Amino acid sequence: MNQPYGVAAVSAVIVATVAVGALGLRISRTTSDFYVASRSVPARLNAAAISGEYLSAASFLGIAGLVLAQGVDMLWFPVGYTAGHLVLLAFVAAPLRRSGAYTLPDFAEARLESRAVRRAAGLLVVVVGWLYLLPQLQGAGLTLGTLTGLPSWSGGIVVAVVVALSVAAGGMRSITFVQAFQYWLKLTALLVPLLFLLFAWYADGRPAPALDEPPGFRGHAEVRVDDGVTLRIGEPLRVTVTGTVDGHRHDGEPVELAPGRHRVDAGTVLGFPPGSTVPERSTAGGDGGTSTGWAEPRGHAGEEHPLYATYGLILATFMGAMGLPHVVVRFYTNPDGRAARRTTVVVLGLVGAFYLLVPLYGALGRVYAPDLLLTGNTDTAVLMLPDRLIGGTAGDLLGALLAAGACAAFLSTASGLTMAVAGVLTQDFLPSPRGVRHFRLATALAVAVPAAGHVVVQGLSVANAVGLAFAVAASSFCPLLLLGIWWRRLTAAGALAGLVTGGGAALAAVFATVMGGPDSGWPRALLAWPAVWSVPLGFLTMILVSLATPKRVPAGTDAIMARLHLPEAPVPVPPAGAWKARR
Amino acid sequence: MTLLLLLLCCAVVGAVCFAAGAAYARGAGHVLGAGFVRGAGRRGPARGDGRDPDGVERATFQTLHTASLAAPPLRAGLTADTARKAVRRLRPLLGTQSLALTGLDGVLAWEGGGDHHGEQLAAQVTKAVQAGRTRSFFVDCDRADCAVRFGVVAPLTAGGRPKGALAAFGTHDSAAVARATEEVARWVSGQLELAELDRARSSLIEAEIRALRAQISPHFIYNSLAAIASFVRTDPERARELLLEFADFTRYSFRRHGEFTTLAEELNSIEQYLELVRARFGRRLQVTLQIAPEVLPVALPFLCLQPLVENAVKHGLEDSVERSLITIVAVDEGAVARVSIEDNGVGMEPGRLRRILNGEGGPTTGIGLRNVDERLRQVYGENEGLVIETAVGAGMKITLRIPKYHAGVHAHAPTGREG
Amino acid sequence: MAAEPVPRREVVTRHPGSTPAHTAYRSTPYRPATEPPRALTPAAHAHVRRLIRRQLRAGLATGAALALLVGTLPLVFRYLPGTGLGPVPAVVVWLVLGVAVYPLLLLLAGRYVRRAERNERDYTRAVEGA
Repeated sequence: MNQPYGVAAVSAVIVATVAVGALGLRISRTTSDFYVASRSVPARLNAAAISGEYLSAASFLGIAGLVLAQGVDMLWFPVGYTAGHLVLLAFVAAPLRRSGAYTLPDFAEARLESRAVRRAAGLLVVVVGWLYLLPQLQGAGLTLGTLTGLPSWSGGIVVAVVVALSVAAGGMRSITFVQAFQYWLKLTALLVPLLFLLFAWYADGRPAPALDEPPGFRGHAEVRVDDGVTLRIGEPLRVTVTGTVDGHRHDGEPVELAPGRHRVDAGTVLGFPPGSTVPERSTAGGDGGTSTGWAEPRGHAGEEHPLYATYGLILATFMGAMGLPHVVVRFYTNPDGRAARRTTVVVLGLVGAFYLLVPLYGALGRVYAPDLLLTGNTDTAVLMLPDRLIGGTAGDLLGALLAAGACAAFLSTASGLTMAVAGVLTQDFLPSPRGVRHFRLATALAVAVPAAGHVVVQGLSVANAVGLAFAVAASSFCPLLLLGIWWRRLTAAGALAGLVTGGGAALAAVFATVMGGPDSGWPRALLAWPAVWSVPLGFLTMILVSLATPKRVPAGTDAIMARLHLPEAPVPVPPAGAWKARR
Repeated sequence: MTLLLLLLCCAVVGAVCFAAGAAYARGAGHVLGAGFVRGAGRRGPARGDGRDPDGVERATFQTLHTASLAAPPLRAGLTADTARKAVRRLRPLLGTQSLALTGLDGVLAWEGGGDHHGEQLAAQVTKAVQAGRTRSFFVDCDRADCAVRFGVVAPLTAGGRPKGALAAFGTHDSAAVARATEEVARWVSGQLELAELDRARSSLIEAEIRALRAQISPHFIYNSLAAIASFVRTDPERARELLLEFADFTRYSFRRHGEFTTLAEELNSIEQYLELVRARFGRRLQVTLQIAPEVLPVALPFLCLQPLVENAVKHGLEDSVERSLITIVAVDEGAVARVSIEDNGVGMEPGRLRRILNGEGGPTTGIGLRNVDERLRQVYGENEGLVIETAVGAGMKITLRIPKYHAGVHAHAPTGREG
Repeated sequence: MAAEPVPRREVVTRHPGSTPAHTAYRSTPYRPATEPPRALTPAAHAHVRRLIRRQLRAGLATGAALALLVGTLPLVFRYLPGTGLGPVPAVVVWLVLGVAVYPLLLLLAGRYVRRAERNERDYTRAVEGA
């Protein structure tokens, strides 16, 4: 990839983001624009903003990488990310807006009249936000690393600093316009290169991804292995090696690798002849399972309990979307409950349109960038493809466009999350929330923790890490919202116990997985995909403890339930003609 | 199967943890409440000889602390919810077997055992309230698990009217308990009295809003109608528009229901107001607006921006300023919206403004500013009043911070309910 | 333009410095003075409960459709080969998960919104008619 183009593209996105933010604030200047200024944000604009904030690096880069590596089952990620909004629409959208809450802790307080539940919810918002920020910084590190050759961790730090500064300085003041702009930028950045790529692919004789065979190199390929890796080889393979394989140093001479495992040291360059099979990376958790059966559904590839893993993913994403702090705060911009519903429908459409495109990158990557399976950098597939298929200046330009899209993806999600986390920190955890200094301190804190985590925990798959954040949100906020909105016997004690038990259990599982817990069998599956048991656990605890404390149902429950569900009284309509003929 | 088992285990663990937590909290409550009876009533802590100044101080402190914890719920008035919270704090204070708070027509909250004596208590409450003084009575109970044998009922009053009663129960007749109960009841009455005062103060502010509406109208209505009349011949279309504008504006300002509105609606009314002012002053008035669309749905007290804009217009057009420039800015700061209204008018002497805000400025001056300040503090808390930057001849900038969410603040009334 | 320097502005708030620092920003919920929380009339209460029940049914119907049409797909893909119908062709799986799901979700969403808004209209009519 051409560096100057890429850097220019990323810089342009940052500048454009700031510009739209500043312009959006000045949308109206004179009294005659008052009419425009005092109207609500239209559903379409707000939906684009929600989608812009929602479609993160995990969606832009991660899913294509997973599809490239593991095949059709990974399509459950985008399906889940989209379907989560349907669940949000059907059970949460309008009542949440009518509650008047801006954040999830606000909702907890409005519904249960309890400071304790408010604090617990605030703590969980911070935790979910941090878990979600971590993969955003990783995506950032990846993109900037691919563009500039910087080590991956430093790219994440750069973005963390940019986000912290822009949020703390208030550079994202008109956030709706910024985020809506980011959505369309992301869609364009994905769609335009894809058209060119598909055309190139068609011209190339439409090679289909080998469905049942291990992927092969189409031409002569030189692959540099940046980290030490053990390869598993099925058939004898003749490669040229510059570096160290199985402890022997080679300098560009051909080597015959026998079937079995081979240790390749970091920095080694392997040269593959055309048509040879891509060897498989062998990891601690068993073989990658990336070579065969790519196109067939087996539940999760590389999982011992694939069906369980798929359902773990489905539950986490379907139930988790409603608990994402940065999505929830955007619903406040809707003027009323009905608008909240309509906005969600548009979000479904916009997000779905985006996800229609992503898997194609994964499939093309399987054909044109199989070496990523060897190096393990499958998350960069989207960025590599224009160079591989088209090349030249056109390829560079399209690559730069994709880099710009990826940059928009992690910038928008990361700044949205940082805003949400910093808001909760200032309101509920730092003393005396007045003043700008506190918000800046909170912003620094909101970014510093995931940035540190990003440096420590390397090599977590971006999409998988997001999945874990979803699991925690699904096990804690989903029960709180669903029971809070639809069940009058929920008590503060029940909600608190449910949040702590459900969220805590999922969180413990996440940590066990990230820190390298059990690496095989049911224990591993249960911890890696906690939603299947932790979501029911959260619900069960909330229900049982509420039933055990029936006297503590808040006094105002009936009134609040009515507020959540009754349509807003229409604002008195001015006489006909009063809105017309403004100058 | 394994899954189900695991689920059950986790649920049980969760429930146990919770129960333990609750029990701990209750225990802590007991420790905290040194108690009227034990601490103050018997003069000195149990272990000492009665001359341990530290011990006395500690007991006094603990008593005061417990009382301060019980006060906030009571300040919101006497309901089942506030009674439950208060009784939980008050029982350790008295150190009795059980303690109950009742309204005039039934038990509101009962802490401790023996709550099957509710009906008997109701009868005693009626008598005590009628007599207007504390009553003791014996309790007949043949239930083995019920230790209650003796009760004290002390009536609660506020504003000279009966509100309910405080009832303490114990195992034996005790004059000390009766006296302590009466004291606590007097203290609770004091809190309820304060609650009534809070309410009266709010009503006063409400009345002020109405006065505010009435106050703006005569001049403004006259001037607006005069301006509209001047257009009837020259520009009938403009006159018609202005008249509609005028109708909308007055409809909004005089609406009777709802304490809160949205920023969007308030801005809309400000637009109409400014349109009418401009009909009179034309190009002398220039208005700049920067509104972040995210903050439009924010709920805020009804008519809390418009008086400020009116103030800015008055300051701007008064005296010699040739061209009045008013800037209205609303920005999104995460959980709060910050709104500021700035003019380049004559400004005000800071000391005078301070007196106005403190309510020492005389009956007629700056009632708008003071009323808005008062309402903001009342709704959002003592620290959330207006911040005004001004000096004589330097214009004025008024800044408000409005939280996007605050418990009890809702702009929309759901359909099917009045008010 | 500005011949003489504009005087410096001074910051003014009520009782400067006398407000207690610990007064929490959100210490107490606001309780309106003139509108004490009133219980709904039994008739209104019945209307509200009915609306909530109907909205819950609409939500559950959508959730059930989602679970049935999308949530069962992993089972179908996994166990259909065992029933003698043969394996699901790979291209069908790709089309279902990669394309067909999205219009389906949108369709379910559209139907839900129509139903929810109808429920609300019915409620408004019932309340205003009463």
